[in-house]
Amino acid sequence: MNTFLTSIRRTPYQSLAAFLVLFFTLFVSVFLFIGLSFLYGLLGYVESRPQVTVYFQTKTLPEDISKIREQLINSGKVMDVKYISKEDAFNIYKQLNKDNPLLLEMVSADILPPSLEIYAKKPVYLSQIAEFLKKQPGVDEVNFQKDIVDRLLTLTDILRKSTIAFFLFLLFMSTIVLTTTTLFKVALKKDEIELMRLLGATNFYIKKPFIFEGIFFGLSASIVSFLILGGALLYFNPFLKSYLNGIPSLALNLPYYQLQVWPMNPIFLITSFTLSTLFGVGIAIIASLLATQKFLK
Amino acid sequence: MRFFNFLTMITFEHVSKKFPLGNVALDDVSFQIEDNEFVFLVGPSGAGKTTILKLLLREMPATSGTVLVDDIDVSIKKFGSPVNLRRKIGIVFQDFKILPEKNVFENVALSLQVVGAPTGQIKQEVKSALELVNLSDKSKVFPTQLSAGEIQRVAIARAIIGNRNILLADEPTGNLDPKTAWEIVRIFKKLEGKKTIIIATHNTDIVNSMQKRVIVLKDGKLTKDVRKGGYEL
Repeated sequence: MNTFLTSIRRTPYQSLAAFLVLFFTLFVSVFLFIGLSFLYGLLGYVESRPQVTVYFQTKTLPEDISKIREQLINSGKVMDVKYISKEDAFNIYKQLNKDNPLLLEMVSADILPPSLEIYAKKPVYLSQIAEFLKKQPGVDEVNFQKDIVDRLLTLTDILRKSTIAFFLFLLFMSTIVLTTTTLFKVALKKDEIELMRLLGATNFYIKKPFIFEGIFFGLSASIVSFLILGGALLYFNPFLKSYLNGIPSLALNLPYYQLQVWPMNPIFLITSFTLSTLFGVGIAIIASLLATQKFLK
Repeated sequence: MRFFNFLTMITFEHVSKKFPLGNVALDDVSFQIEDNEFVFLVGPSGAGKTTILKLLLREMPATSGTVLVDDIDVSIKKFGSPVNLRRKIGIVFQDFKILPEKNVFENVALSLQVVGAPTGQIKQEVKSALELVNLSDKSKVFPTQLSAGEIQRVAIARAIIGNRNILLADEPTGNLDPKTAWEIVRIFKKLEGKKTIIIATHNTDIVNSMQKRVIVLKDGKLTKDVRKGGYEL
């Protein structure tokens, strides 16, 4: 503990440079992580909405709608087809307008159209399903969200690729800068390192203070960047709430776990902080090992 | 033929050291040093004294021949880590190699800290070592406040603590005036019989008056090895 605190005190500019580089890297990385998590959450949300909705004329019989539903299921292109009867539609209408009695009085189940909500297996099937439905008897209107899903998919893909590229650049840049600043520190202790080697110190014993210093910088940079980003998220929370009004929750689907992104919750914040800390400490340790290795050959 | 016996601490057997540019530092050197023996390694500059010390510490390998230190063959090409070997050896340098930002206690303690000794043991052994070199009252003093002789005594204290049963000294009096040099020699004398001591020097006064074993080197060759001898430049 004393060794690396002394080292920080003796090389304040190198220490500040190491801290600032790590802080910048972690700040940008956590910002990108939170941004991408929201975007993926939004994509998942849009994909979970009915992707094609077909409204039938009010006089269409449920049996005819049922036949079309079966044809859709048998096509192998849909994941699920949900039938919304006139009564179901009226219940939904009532729920949506529960605060407006005037609107409720004006509408009855008879005037609302029955519909089918269709979830396609792949976005590519959306237009084929829509074309099929338009040709069916009794169909009044077909709505599908191909454009929204496609645009979101493209945007997410571009952002994911550019984020990975930017992230790799940050990783490379911070490792190089940290290795160089640590090299300065190691060079200042060259005589001591040489002496310790002659006295029988292991390589790990010599590297240990530099590794601890790296862990200290990684941890402190992670804490500071997270406090600033956490504060910003809390500050903008009311704005996000109004912007995402109507979206109950957003989640990031990981291979074995679903991470809830919105509404803001402690698990998401702790996960972001943990990843940022591991990343920062990891870079700092790698830089320390690279710098000391040069003097221990 | 090996010169093995149970008292032998160091063995050089037909050892040569040639550097890549062709200069020969040691040429077919053979000798043995017994456990707790006191030996002067003498010769003019460039004779090969420091090379012998470096081979013992495995700072570099021998080009040919065998170097044994406490039964460890340190001359093999793929030696691995020299950590365990170096923990058996204390070393005193001509330029002291004392760390200026550490005080006397911390400089001496480093020798035990690097081997992971517990704090209690470090305190006790550093105290004893500082008593031996007459620096008990200066344990908290920094090297800038010490004379050259005192700094060299700190270096000796650092070299003797722990289970370091071999003490190598490379021109330990080279930077000291005659009076201070004798103070240092007296400390080495106190350690006689407790550790294997090898002092590389070209101080003829000290060598001749001590009447210890003298190994003389010239141009990388061993020219003389006498049990109780002197030395002339």
